[in-house]
Amino acid sequence: MTITTHNKPLQLNVNRRGNAAVVSVVGSVSMSDADRLREALEKLTDERISVIVLDLREMDFICSVGLGAIIVAYLKCRHHAGQIKLVCPVQSVRELLETTRLTKLFRIYDSIDGALAGV
Amino acid sequence: MIQKSIPTDLEVARRLTEEILGQARAAGYDEDACFAIRLSLEEALINAIKHGNKFDRSRKVSVSADVGADLTTITVIDEGDGFDPSSVPDPTADENLEKPFGRGIMLMRAYMDEVGYNDRGNKVRMVKHRCSGLPTSVGQSTVHSSGAEPESPCGPSGKTEPARHFRHGPGRQ
Repeated sequence: MTITTHNKPLQLNVNRRGNAAVVSVVGSVSMSDADRLREALEKLTDERISVIVLDLREMDFICSVGLGAIIVAYLKCRHHAGQIKLVCPVQSVRELLETTRLTKLFRIYDSIDGALAGV
Repeated sequence: MIQKSIPTDLEVARRLTEEILGQARAAGYDEDACFAIRLSLEEALINAIKHGNKFDRSRKVSVSADVGADLTTITVIDEGDGFDPSSVPDPTADENLEKPFGRGIMLMRAYMDEVGYNDRGNKVRMVKHRCSGLPTSVGQSTVHSSGAEPESPCGPSGKTEPARHFRHGPGRQ
């Protein structure tokens, strides 16, 4: 018997807050969706947004291509002294970030307000 | 047992991943195990499509997945020239952390219990034990509100053996 489960489709919502932007990532950043995340982040980095906050509370999965999209945005942000901040990844994603040591690049915050403090 | 030959297409590959994951869930694999299987399978398929078949839609990717009660074995074969997996730099090294690529093989090794390539380097075989959990969850246990350990087919700790990083891959530590 074949049972197909449907993981949550990726939804990206961008909320501008002054010269910052909060990107809510909902669902799965799988291999076929990672380009959408890359494009969304690229648009923000092209606008030289100073702080991009990725709200990961409802992101249940991300593949290496998705991680790569975040790293590319991090590198572009650095050109204009911008930052990428992560908020509340679920446990499995947090462990993935630790396994890859990307917690060395990205600071993880407990709340969006905390990530935006001082912006 | 699933055996399929799929086109070089990320969306088709994603759907096949969901089908295999559905079997794992139906067989009682927990969320940690399913996450590990999903991540590793996606990484293997990305490598096959991107680096192996180089997005050439005339080439196929062959996938077999045997989801058993205790372990899952997955094989992914592409039609590319192959590569030497030991030549891929460690993406967790400080000097490689900012590279946006090159994490797939490391993740497969971290999240699966066995990962092996054929000599040509176009075929990867991965094994996941049902209860081996996530890489960094070694030694952790969940204490529920009752204060007692939940009953688990994997034993009190929920693990049959510790997961590990870079289990197979001399020279990659």
